[in-house]
Order: sequence, then C-alpha cells, then structure tokens
Amino acid sequence: MKRFAPLAVPLLLAGCDGPASTLAPAGPVAAEIAWLWWAMLAGAAAISLLVGVMIAMSFGPPRETSTRRWTHGWGLGFSLVVLTTLLGAGLWVGERILPRDDGAVEVRAHAFMWGWHFTQPGEGDNMVETDGTLYVPVGQPIDVIVTAEDVIHSFWVPQLAGKMDAIPGRENVMRFQVDSPGTYRGLCAEFCGLGHAGMLFDLVAYEPGDLPEALLPNEPAEEGAND
Amino acid sequence: MTWADWSTRFLALSLAGPMIWAITFSAVYGLHGIGCALAWPEVDLAFLSLHRLAMLAAWGVGLLACGLLLAWLPAGARMRVWLPRAGGWVGLGATFFTLFPVIVTTSC
Amino acid sequence: MTDIRATAADAETPEAVLDIPANPPRRALGLHREIDRVWRNAPGWWGHVTAVNHTSLGLRFMATALVFFAIGGILAMLIRAQLATHEGAFLDTELYNQIFTMHGSIMMFLFAIPMLEGMGIYMLPKMLGTRDMAFPRLTALGYWCFLFGGLIMLTALFFGVAPRDGWFMYTPLSSAEYSPGINADVWLLGVTFVEISAIAAAVEITVTILRQRAPGMKLTEMPLFAWYMLGTVAMMLVGFPPLILASVLLEIERAFGWPFFDVARGGDPLLWQHLFWLFGHPEVYIIFLPAAGAISTIIPVMCRTTIMGYGAIVAAVVALVFLSFGLWVHHMFTVGIPHMALAFFSAASVLVAVPTAVQVFAWIGTMWKGRPQLKLPMLYILGFFLTFVMGGLTGVMLAIVPFNWQAHDTAFVTAHLHYVLIGGFVFPILAAAAYWMPQITGRVRVRGLGEAAFWTILVGFHGTFFIMHLTGLLGMRRRIDVYPENPEWVWLNLTSSIFGFVMAIGFGLFLLDLVLQARLGQRSPRNPWRAPGLDWSLRLPAPSYNFASLPGPRHLAGGDQVALSLSRGQGLLPGAPRGTRELLVTGIGDARPDHVAILPGNSHLPLRLSASIGLFVLFMLAGLYWLTLPALALVAVLIWVWGRGMAWGADLPPIEVAPGMTLPVHVHRRKTLAYTGAICLLVANGTFFATLLFGVAFLHVVAPGWPAPPMGNEDLGSASLVAGAVVALGLGTVIARLAERARLAGHAVSGPAVAGLMVNFLALGLIAYLAATAMDDPTRHARDALRGVLAGYIALHALVVSGFAAFAVDQWRRGELTPRRAGCLPVWRLWQDYSAAVALITAAVVILQGAGG
Ligand code: HEM
Ligand SMILES: [Cu+2]
Ligand SMILES: [Cu+2]
Repeated sequence: MKRFAPLAVPLLLAGCDGPASTLAPAGPVAAEIAWLWWAMLAGAAAISLLVGVMIAMSFGPPRETSTRRWTHGWGLGFSLVVLTTLLGAGLWVGERILPRDDGAVEVRAHAFMWGWHFTQPGEGDNMVETDGTLYVPVGQPIDVIVTAEDVIHSFWVPQLAGKMDAIPGRENVMRFQVDSPGTYRGLCAEFCGLGHAGMLFDLVAYEPGDLPEALLPNEPAEEGAND
Repeated sequence: MTWADWSTRFLALSLAGPMIWAITFSAVYGLHGIGCALAWPEVDLAFLSLHRLAMLAAWGVGLLACGLLLAWLPAGARMRVWLPRAGGWVGLGATFFTLFPVIVTTSC
Repeated sequence: MTDIRATAADAETPEAVLDIPANPPRRALGLHREIDRVWRNAPGWWGHVTAVNHTSLGLRFMATALVFFAIGGILAMLIRAQLATHEGAFLDTELYNQIFTMHGSIMMFLFAIPMLEGMGIYMLPKMLGTRDMAFPRLTALGYWCFLFGGLIMLTALFFGVAPRDGWFMYTPLSSAEYSPGINADVWLLGVTFVEISAIAAAVEITVTILRQRAPGMKLTEMPLFAWYMLGTVAMMLVGFPPLILASVLLEIERAFGWPFFDVARGGDPLLWQHLFWLFGHPEVYIIFLPAAGAISTIIPVMCRTTIMGYGAIVAAVVALVFLSFGLWVHHMFTVGIPHMALAFFSAASVLVAVPTAVQVFAWIGTMWKGRPQLKLPMLYILGFFLTFVMGGLTGVMLAIVPFNWQAHDTAFVTAHLHYVLIGGFVFPILAAAAYWMPQITGRVRVRGLGEAAFWTILVGFHGTFFIMHLTGLLGMRRRIDVYPENPEWVWLNLTSSIFGFVMAIGFGLFLLDLVLQARLGQRSPRNPWRAPGLDWSLRLPAPSYNFASLPGPRHLAGGDQVALSLSRGQGLLPGAPRGTRELLVTGIGDARPDHVAILPGNSHLPLRLSASIGLFVLFMLAGLYWLTLPALALVAVLIWVWGRGMAWGADLPPIEVAPGMTLPVHVHRRKTLAYTGAICLLVANGTFFATLLFGVAFLHVVAPGWPAPPMGNEDLGSASLVAGAVVALGLGTVIARLAERARLAGHAVSGPAVAGLMVNFLALGLIAYLAATAMDDPTRHARDALRGVLAGYIALHALVVSGFAAFAVDQWRRGELTPRRAGCLPVWRLWQDYSAAVALITAAVVILQGAGG
C-alpha cells in the first residue's frame, strides 16, 4: 500500500469528480458541507498524527509523567476545545442551510417503489407533474417537499445537498440551490427493497428564462398541467 | 443492600449527576417535541416564545440541580468521595454541553 | 441517622482492614481431586448437554461466536466479491439483500454480543476470585437460547428465506405488506430469542460482580475489567428492552394486524426507528466497553507498570454508560426532525468522545509511565489505537449534522462502522486472545504465525476500508448490489475487495495459530506474562472450580506464592467436603463475607427450557398461533421446576470458611444472590415498561393519524374493572408482607399465600373480562393496539405473581417456609410490588390519555 501512495494522490484528487460526488459541489449547500468536510479531514489527520507521535514516543524506558496531564489536560481539555469548535461550526452551517419562509421555489418529490414522481412550477403558476426527472431553475433557493407512497425512501442529489428521507405520512422539507444549468444525478439513499439500487432520477437545472420543453404546456406525452 | 452499607450510597451518589443529566435531557427533548406539536413557538411572551421559555426553564433546573449536588458533596481524594463528585461534574458538563442548543438553534 | 453523603464515614481514619486467618495447608493434589469431583462436568456427550460451569460455557459462548464470525465473514466476502465490479453479476438482488442483512445481523447479534458475554462469563469469576457465576443454570440457558436462535437464522439463510431488510429492519419495508413471507419474522423472533441470553448474562454478571468478589476486594479497588463489565451489563439491562419491545410490537403487527408503525391507523414508522436506535447506539458501546476493559488490563502488563488514572477511567465509564443513551437520534438526522432536536443529539454525540478520549490518553500515559514491550498482544493494541482513533474521528464527523446529511447511508458510514467495530472490538479481542490463550489451552503459542496474522489483518483491514470513506463521499450508497452508472467507483471497490480477501487470509492465519497452539504449543508456565491479579493464580489450563480454596484479603495481589497457597487449601472455604458446589457471597462495598451460597450442579433443565422456548418461536414462525399456547404452558411448567430446584426442605448448619469464621448458608439469608438477581431483572423489566410508555406518548404527540377515533365503551363499567384490577394487585402487596410476617412469627403462611393467589387471580380475571367485553378492536387504531399491549403486560404480571403465590402455597405445604427459611417470599414481594406499581401507572396513563383526547 505504502509504495503506491505517491501514485494515489493525483488519482484521489482527480477522483473527487463524478456525477454523484459530494466533493464536486454544484450549489451553495453542498459547497458549505464540502468545505466542512475538508476542514474536518485536516483536523482529523492532525489529531491522528498527534496520537501516533505520542504512542511512538511512549516506547522507551519508563519515565515520570503526571496523570492529570493525560486525563485532564489531553483527555478533557484538549478534546473539549476541539469538539466545541467543531460543534459550533456544524451548528452554524446547519442553521444557514435550513429552509425558511422566504418565498423559495417549492417543488414536490413523491417516492414510490421504485421511482420518483415530481411536481414543479412550469409556466406562470402552472404546476407540472413529471416522472423520473425534476426540473428546477438555477440561482434560486428551492424547497423540495419530500413524501413517500409506500416505504421509506430518501431524496439525494449529492452534488447539491444532503439527504432528506421520504417517510409515509410525513412531509419533509429540504433546501438546495443550483449554480449552473445542467443535469445532475439524483438517488434514493434509503434502502427500499429490490429496486433500491436502480432508484435514480435526473435533476435538470435550467436558466429561469429558458424553460425546458417538458415544463411547457400542451405537451402530448405523460406530463399534464393541473392547478 | 441498605443505606447503612456505604456502597449503596456510593453507587447512588456517583450516578446522581449523570442521572440529573438524563432526566433534564429527556425533559427538554420531550418539551421540544410537545411544543412543536402544540405550536408553542407561536405563543409569544415578552422576549421569548413559550416554547423556548419552557425548555430554558427545564435546562436551568437541571443545571441548578447539578450545581447544588456539587456544592453539597464533600471533596476528597479517596475514590469513595471522589467518584460521586466526578459524577456531579459529568452531570453538570453534560447538561450544559448537550442542551446549550436551546439558546442558539431554530426550534421547530 | 447517617448522613447519606458519608460514603467515607471513616475518611480520616484508615479504612477498616479485613483480615481472615489462613486454613491449614493440605496436599494440593488430594484437594484438587476432592473438589474437581464436585465441580466438573458429567463425562462424555451428556456432560456437554448438562454443563453449567462458567469455564465450559464461557468457552463455548466464545467458540460458537467465533463460528458465527467465520460465517459472517464468508458473507462479507460474498458482498465484497459482488461489489468488486459495477455489474456485480453473480448474486441476484434478492440474495444480495439477504446476505448483507445477515452479515450485519450475525456480526452484531451472533458474534459481538455473545463473544463479549462469553468473555465476561469466562473471565470474571477468575478475576474476582470465585468459583462460578451467580446463576450457573442461567448461564447454560443463555447459551442454548443463543445457539437455537442463531441456528434458526442460519437455517433461514440456508433455505433462502433469510431476513432481507437490512440489520435495522426499518418498517414499513419490514411490515407484512412489503415483506410478506417469514423472512422478517425470522429476524424478529430469532434475534429476540438470542436476546434472552443477553438479559440472562447481564443479570448474572451484575450479581457476580457486586456480590461474589473475593473478601476484601473493595468495589473501589476491583480490577478495571470488572468496572467495564459492570458498565456493560448495566447498559444491557437498560439497552436491550427497547429492542425487545420493538421486535415484539412489530411481530404483533405482522402476525395479528395491530397497528403500531402503520401511519394509516395511527402508527408511525419513526417509532420503530426511535426504539431500534435507543437500543442500537448503546449497543455499540456495549460492544466497545468490554474490549476497552481488556485493553486496560493488558496494557499495564505489557508495559510492566500499573494503569494510569484508575479513578478517571471509572468516571469515564460511568459517563459513557449514561451519555451513550442520549445519542440515538444521530442515526436519524435525515428523517425530518427539527434542527434544535438534532442539535441536542449532535452535541451529545460529540460529547461522548470526551470520556473516550480520557481513556485513550490514560492508556497512552500508562505506556509513557512504563516500558512497552512489543509482544503480540501489544501489537494488536497498537492496531487498535490506529484503527479506533480513526474510527472515532470519523464518528465525530458523522455527529456533525450537515456532514451527516451527505455521508448518511453511504459507504462512508460502512467504513466508519467497521473502523469502530473492528478497531474497537475485533482488535482488542485478538489482543485478549493472544493474552489469555495460555489460560485456556495451558500452552504457549508457536512463534511467528501470530505476528504474520496480525500484519495481514492490519494491512487487509485498512486496505479494505480506508478508501471506502472516499467511495462513500463519491456518492456510493450502502446496500446496493450493482452500480452500472458509476464506473468511476470500480477501482476503489476493486481495491477494497482485494484487500478484503487479504484480511480474510489474516483471520485464517489467526485461526490456524489458535489450533496450532492448542495442539503443538509447549506447556505454559503458570503466569506467562508475570501479570498481577487472581486470573493468573490458577492452575493452567483453568480447572473446573478455579480456586481450590478461595482467595481472601491476603491473596488479592495474585502471583505465584498466592497460587501455591490457594491450591494447598490455605484460602477460604477449601475443597468440597460436603459434596456441594460452594462459594462465598460478600457485601457490595467492602466485600465482607456474608454467607456461603450452594450452587446447583449439572442439569439438563436449561436445555429443556430453551428448547421449549424454541418450540414457541417455531410455532410463531409457522403461523400456528394456537399451538404457541401449549408451548408457553410448557415454558411455565419448566420455570416452576426451575424454581423448585432452588427450594430447600431442611435447615443447613453454618459453615466454617476459615479458622474462627463461620458463615450461614444462603438458605437462611433473605438477600440471596437470587434476590439481587430479581432486582436486576426488574430493572430490565421496568425499562421495557418505560419504553412502552414512551411509545404511547410518542405516537400520541407525534404520529400523523391522531386523534384516535372515539372509544366504543368508555363507561363506568370498564373504569371500575381497571380500578378493580389495580386494587387487587395492590392488596397483593399487603398480603405478600403479611405472608413474610407470618413466616417470621412461625404462623401458618398458607392463609396469606392463598389470599395472595386469590387477589392475583381476581386481577387476572378482571383484565380478561375487560379485554373480552369492553376494549376496542386493537386492529382499529394504534391507541387501541397499545391499550391491548398494556392490558396484556399487566395480565402477564398478574399471572406471574399468581405463580409466586401458588409457589408459596406449595412451599408451605412442603414445610419449606420457616422462621429461618424465607423461600420464595422475598422475591414474590418484589414482583408483587412491581406489578401493582405498573398496574397503577398504566391505569393513570389510560385515564390521562382519555382526558387528553
Ligand atoms: C471480516 C471483515 C468484514 C468485511 C470485509 C465486512 C464488509 C462489509 C461490507 C462491504 C458491508 C456493506 C454492505 C453494504 O451495505 O453495501 C458491511 C456491512 C456491515 N457490517 Fe461488515 N464486514 C466485516 C466485518 C464486520 C464486523 C466484525 C462487524 C461487526 C462486529 C460488521 C458489521 C457490519 C454491519 C452492522 C453492517 C451493516 C449491514 C447492513 O447494512 O444492514 N462487519 N460489511
Ligand atoms: Cu431506496
Ligand atoms: Cu450511534
């Protein structure tokens, strides 16, 4: 393993991309979380190293050492300082990415075994229903209301935000925002039986002025407008 | 197993602090759930909502209880005396740390 | 009145020193023959069936767990083979789902928990200086329940009807509608069956630690391993009941259609998640604590010093025991709970790292204090440090809510959980195996192989799981069998799979090492590590009775001299001159000798009882619900027979345990081991009841389908039925006291006992009548279903206390209740008080709920 380490580094960095990668964020929510991750990774690496050095230094002849320094100093003091900082950062990010009442675009994602049914605004106040593809405008906060038909599923677009479970009998709301137009990979993240692995969807982000065809009225196929 | 045997007191006292945490934590979490179900956040009292006030009150009682416990317990280096106090500190620290989100986060 | 703060009334004066004079020395061999004859298992095949001895059963627990580990490992290899490429191609989804579900369930319920139980059962009596666990037949019962439950699950796997909904069995996926067939029932019933052994082990380990320590081994000075195990079993008594409750409720929903988790009828799938994780998170610490106990024992020996910060470590254990019950929601961060509630649990999850850090740094400090030697156990401990610290750090990351929203249910979590479980449990267990094997086999290992196994496992493990963090962050979900759309994960998964097989080879080498050591190893000296402690003061391999004479205050340091004097009978209660299995029961605090307990000998009753429980489980699985009733009747009869085995028909003379020290036999004590055990069981029972009440409150407040439809028959009649049952059970508590008073005064106990039987039957009848006439159809709404369960719970208790009263009548008839012999009366009183209390609380809850709409 060690021998391949130099090889692995560029591979790892290149490897951060990918259609389902949380490390290739395409919106502010995912970007905040990715930032949190890199910070935590650096901290964790430093702490692992510290503990490793401490253990390495313990080899050798016995020596006088103060119990309090270990149990109170490192055990309580050091860990509490690190953890409090981390928790603060986590709560701060968590508060910032919460949905709130600010007139965000509302869309609905209804999960069933094994697929997705979406409701999203089309032209004007028209709500358009689609299967398997969710259309949202870029550059605006989107609140997705997640519901389930049968068992528990979970709505997840890794490049955009975290997950939100779809639970029978509940309406859960999650916020995200897309930076640039394109198609993003969506997945069901909660194990839901035989079709779980294949329970994917597409999230298509469009410029607000440039409505995709599927959202335009009088489409002949599956989509129909309703109020 | 009677109070006359120091061990029962020792165990009970050592668990007192963590127990106060457990009770306070459950109480605040319970109040949070009930408050959200009954729309307490909408009930405004002077500075706070009824919801936050209820949780803050429960939190305060828990902190106070741990503080009183620590004030009441004798100090000493011997394990029989030391562990109950350590338990008191665990209770106080845990009550403070796990419930301080009451003041900083969005409630429902 | 004593000041209740005064745990050290003698804070200034030195603590009273207990000294017990030595018995005269005898010939060690003769003593060995005398006592081994009494304690050893019956010869041959039958001996395995009837064994109740902790050394045999502890080993058997561990060996069986090891077999399950191998099976779980083979399943893991199948998973890794399937995931090696994106097309998967060799298992179909149905089978794959069964395999990962069984891998997780086997590893958690049939490997980790039984392994730690076995370790506790095997080690504790040796470390504490006693001859067996408090309830030897219960040890055996636990083993058989574990074995039969495990076999049921394996059989299901063999026939392709294994559980397939993931090891946490989320409903509604596991409900009758979406999981028809017996797959889910196998999990619910099989795991519950296995958990009987967890509760049994928890009860007897608690009693053993508290009341069977060598005289003079103070609670505050006992080996750290015992503190860790005490914390573990306390958590088991409180942690397993929520799982048992959840399984029972889901099984009732599946079998009889009572809704608890069905939203359409007032249930809530989140109730399952709360109950499951209320168990599931503490479970992780239940697994970790014994392993940490082993580490705290081994590190000082490997570093030729003493442990640093004994008190701080005990405080950390106490903190962990409590805090770990306040974290469960971190498994539910994505279910839509408000941010503040998430923040509480996030903070608690972060905080729990503090006591863990205290221990880790105390261990490192111990290494600084001493001179670490790189022997095999120490290698595994270094592996533990490396792995567990990283697992702990990713655990803290997952406790951070926003990050959790991304990482949840991905391979990142799979990586984290294996870092914690393999780092925090498997590596310490391997260290413990390397350390304690000489005691089991009486031999030392063959050089070299163990080290090779260690390095292979270490490299294999990190090669498998380290990059899985990245795989997860790149979006790979857990529990998927193919990923045709994501070829970019192939090289990661392929690497994991290859190293997975390296790790498997490592475990193979480890096993080979064990076998070679047992077959070819040279005889080990008595104390190969020159370790302190009583566990190394035994003859090797450990004899059936552990100590030919029991250690006293003079022997607590352990070591060779102590070993010699104990085997010569100079300790307490030497040999088995009366032909019975005897040990000392001591006080909880200072471990002052209190009485001598006579333990039951070899018996096939545990096998019969667990087989009849197994019969019940099989009838449930087959859907033959009516046949479960005779099976339950059989269970009840065997429990009665079990109780008869504890009854004594005659007074026993006091026993001289050392020159000048004479102690009564347990028959003449009110607070026997069984009494303490009954209290422990009631703690678990009380937790079960409290969790049930949590379920009622949770559904009432949170579930969508409320308020419930109006009650059909809420009138004075049904209220008075409820009140009548409460009053009857309450009367029983008075009667149970009258019975004890009559016994002490030498009056007839028959009067009160018969009266007790009558009031308890009356309570039972009232509840049955209520259920038959006045209760709403429990399939209608969750409220009605929960009321049905509450009524059933109270009825079951009325039945149990009726049984106690009947047992008392029978004991009186046989002349077993005298002023000097309390028989079943003290334990009856405990259960009667408990039953009356829960009946009263239930009535209050039902009334409150009625008033609250
Ligand atoms: C012997 C080496 C092991 C390997 C190679 C291994 C491999 C795996 C893999 C690949 C998965 C994820 C399957 C998936 O959801 O995609 C998994 C799941 C799991 N493993 Fe292991 N594992 C090993 C040992 C253990 C041990 C020792 C434990 C516990 C003590 C354990 C507990 C679990 C649990 C609880 C799950 C989750 C199952 C579920 O999702 O329902 N594993 N294991
Ligand atoms: Cu799914
Ligand atoms: Cu957890």
